[in-house]
Amino acid sequence: MNHDIDVKKMRINCFRQSKVPGEFMLQMRAPGGMVDAKYLSSIEHISKTWGDGNFHFGTRQTFDIPGIKYENIDAVNEYIENYITEVDEELCDVDMDKVAGEPQEWDVKSGYPTIGARNITACVGNYHCICGNMNTYELARKIEPIIFPSHYHIKINISGCPNDCNKAHMCDFGIIGTAKMEYHPERCIACGACVRNCEHGATRVLSLNEDTGRVEKDPCCCVGCGECVRACPAGAWTRSEKKLYKIIIGGRTGRQTPRAGKMFLNWASEDVVLNVLRNWQKFSAWVMDYKPEYLHGGHLIDRAGYKKFKEIILDGVELNPECLVAEDIFWHETEYRSNFNVKPLSMHHTAGPQGE
Amino acid sequence: MSNNNPLQPIPCEILNVKKESTHEWTFRVASDADVDHGQFMQLSIPKVGEVPISVSGQGDGWLDFTIRSVGKVTNVIFEKEAGDTLFLRGPYGHGWPVDEFKGKHLVVITGGTGLAPVRSMVNLCADNPKTVKDLTLISGFKNEDGIVFQNELDKWKEHDHFSTTYALDNDEKEGWSTGLVTTFVKDIPFDTFGDDYAVVVVGPPIMMKFTGLELLKNGVPEEKIWMSFERKMSCAIGKCGHCRIDETYVCLDGPVFPYTKARYLVD
Amino acid sequence: MGYSLNPDQTAELLNRLAEDYRIYAPKRFPKQGRYSDTDIIRYDRIQTPDEIVWDQKSDYPAKEVISPIQQALFYFTEDEYRESKKAKKPVLLLARPCDITAQLVQEKIYAENGGFKDLYYDRVHNKVKFAVMDCGGGDDTCFCVSMGSNKPENYSLAFKFDENGLKAEVSDDCFADYFDGMPEDDFTPEFVEENELKVTIPDLSDRDVRLALKSHPMWKEFDKRCISCGSCTVACSTCTCFTTRDICYGDNPEVGERRRVTASCQVAGFDQMAGQREIRSTAGDRMRYKILHKFHDHKARFGDRHMCVGCGRCTHMCPEFISISATVNKMADAVDEIKASLADGGNHVE
Repeated sequence: MNHDIDVKKMRINCFRQSKVPGEFMLQMRAPGGMVDAKYLSSIEHISKTWGDGNFHFGTRQTFDIPGIKYENIDAVNEYIENYITEVDEELCDVDMDKVAGEPQEWDVKSGYPTIGARNITACVGNYHCICGNMNTYELARKIEPIIFPSHYHIKINISGCPNDCNKAHMCDFGIIGTAKMEYHPERCIACGACVRNCEHGATRVLSLNEDTGRVEKDPCCCVGCGECVRACPAGAWTRSEKKLYKIIIGGRTGRQTPRAGKMFLNWASEDVVLNVLRNWQKFSAWVMDYKPEYLHGGHLIDRAGYKKFKEIILDGVELNPECLVAEDIFWHETEYRSNFNVKPLSMHHTAGPQGE
Repeated sequence: MSNNNPLQPIPCEILNVKKESTHEWTFRVASDADVDHGQFMQLSIPKVGEVPISVSGQGDGWLDFTIRSVGKVTNVIFEKEAGDTLFLRGPYGHGWPVDEFKGKHLVVITGGTGLAPVRSMVNLCADNPKTVKDLTLISGFKNEDGIVFQNELDKWKEHDHFSTTYALDNDEKEGWSTGLVTTFVKDIPFDTFGDDYAVVVVGPPIMMKFTGLELLKNGVPEEKIWMSFERKMSCAIGKCGHCRIDETYVCLDGPVFPYTKARYLVD
Repeated sequence: MGYSLNPDQTAELLNRLAEDYRIYAPKRFPKQGRYSDTDIIRYDRIQTPDEIVWDQKSDYPAKEVISPIQQALFYFTEDEYRESKKAKKPVLLLARPCDITAQLVQEKIYAENGGFKDLYYDRVHNKVKFAVMDCGGGDDTCFCVSMGSNKPENYSLAFKFDENGLKAEVSDDCFADYFDGMPEDDFTPEFVEENELKVTIPDLSDRDVRLALKSHPMWKEFDKRCISCGSCTVACSTCTCFTTRDICYGDNPEVGERRRVTASCQVAGFDQMAGQREIRSTAGDRMRYKILHKFHDHKARFGDRHMCVGCGRCTHMCPEFISISATVNKMADAVDEIKASLADGGNHVE
């Protein structure tokens, strides 16, 4: 078959090139991995009408429909107008007529305008889970308009609790729901259930003081998971009403230097999380000299250096009083090739404006 | 301070401390409390805690408590010496039905510190030979280190109307037998007692269970057997619930039970 | 005498009552539940009618007002015992019928058992007046009718809240003055006559049946299911067990307290003496101990009623979804099986 297709253009439109020439896979955003189940019939319709009849759960919680022929893409884009407007415009309050904050009119029949900001993934969170400390998809829906549409790349994973089932540690910007726990000694029966749960399921920060009959805590190492609350038969431990988050940055997979992310902020409020994300595009643009390319956020931080990242990303952000910020980050990559990083100066990447 | 608070303890002076073994000491405490043989009291130390301890001896103005140092409170009690204060409330519970034993052949079978709750009654029988016709005492201990009331054991041996068997579970000791107390039950001359006897059993739960069964096997009717229970307690007055077995509160209805009841108490 | 009060009058009534009483009622503690973004409803002192949760069963029982989870018995300064002080102002306790009936069980233990009257229970209980709150029939864990606790005997006021205010009946004349000038209305409290859930307690009067039941394999199920957390007993309207615990203050070891702290027969160590092995060492043993206490032992001792008012809070609060009613039903099946087997002359238990 003879095709003349700009696959890069197709990718920006959220159609991924297939190994079968002329076929593409549509990736539909589902922020926080949660949408009304009614859309499953739309997915089925697309797959049965234009795809190969199969459906794949995208690794980033997108609805992936493979086997779409190039010539049908316009029809598919026209069909998904409803889905995009209902999910992104209405549910998430996304302004589709801006890309990275700059005005750019969106043709409603043209499908997704950008792929840069990847779908925000989330575990089911406290909508269902007994461990969750937060409603993950609601936060995802608040973040969606901040990062999308944009050509600047970012992968955000949200985990409802420090168990991190959704791997906030393995993406550019991981968000983990936590709470500061409050102890009500007058309700404590000194049974030690919280102490045991913390020891078995968390960071062993609790101990029962036999002299005072109270549970004591090493607050420094508490991960804010809420295992003590779950264990308590008497309601002596409760979560603070204020939701707090850990921000894990710079995690990634890849062929070169995969690594788990490291903690950037601890006990950050929702406002802080959202305001930090509002600076993400500014940071990416600065590092790449305003020319978006597909680079994991961790690589951007590497190029700028953590301290520069911190300077830009916290610009104008008012931290809540509890919030702690990493002074430095000590990465630990898997180096597939020994001394991979040691190379001629001319091969080093650049960061920041390069001039003409 | 209200007088109607049954939890209010009274400060009492320790008169002397006698070391029975490494971990079992007898504290003689000044007290005028009127105690039945086999009753217990709550001993406490402020800021440390309270424990139920059976009265192991009594006399004019004093009470003995034989205590094993195994926990927080008893460990602190072991730091006390003559002249120091212990806090007491009680006595509590039902002790041995001494009146019912009077004039009979009395058999006493003890395991380890189980000797403590019967010690005062045995001494009563020793000091007043007319109390019972005769007394058969079988006292077993795990090993030589576990022996308590050594002086009295020796003294009791000499009494004409006492027949004593002292045993270590596995070890040999001169003048002593070797074996569990249950193995000596068959040697008790029940056939010579006619119908006129009573058997008292005190020791760890397992020892009491098997001794009870062994007694039945040797034709002793269950209504002639008595046992003393030891259970966890916080209040000793039927409120805290720790010592409850079925509808029975050990602190109120015990610690001494007829075997007709004790046999069917399943924790 | 009955009254019908609008919301303003209801607020005024509470203001008047608050002058002479500390008013306790079920209150919502937002987002303090076991799971994130769940609330907890428990008894606390209230000031205004909108704090009262009348349309939902509280997670924790009304007993907490009278026998709190923790209370000081004595204060120590060096070797002196000083009895803790009692609160002077009486309490008006707004509680559901099951909660009020539960006090009959608590009285048996705290005020009667063994002829000892517990001072700490008595001094609060004497100061409590009950206002029974219409429960609207409760929820699907309730079986008060089966336990005969749907119609409390001892209350001074009867309240029925709704969106339009409060209907009240005064049955204790000492409360009449507080209703001065309030609009009178025909109101007599109605009590639930039938629950969706009905529980039949098996007859356990036969000792051989009980002994066989104790060693019945049905309890083994709980070795796997029950986590021995004690949530059921803390939530129980009738459970009274406690442990005495001496503490000293961290900053001054010379000064301290003897405290009474709620204990649970479901939590490991409840029966464990220092230096000895635990007697009931499995979750199944502990469950059997609790269930037999609730549905046989208590009544066998005190004669009048079982130690369960069917409030269903244990079921509601169990993190492992162990239902007390289902457990009683399983026990009833086991008892049927045992009785059939004993009738056959087989399987006789020592």
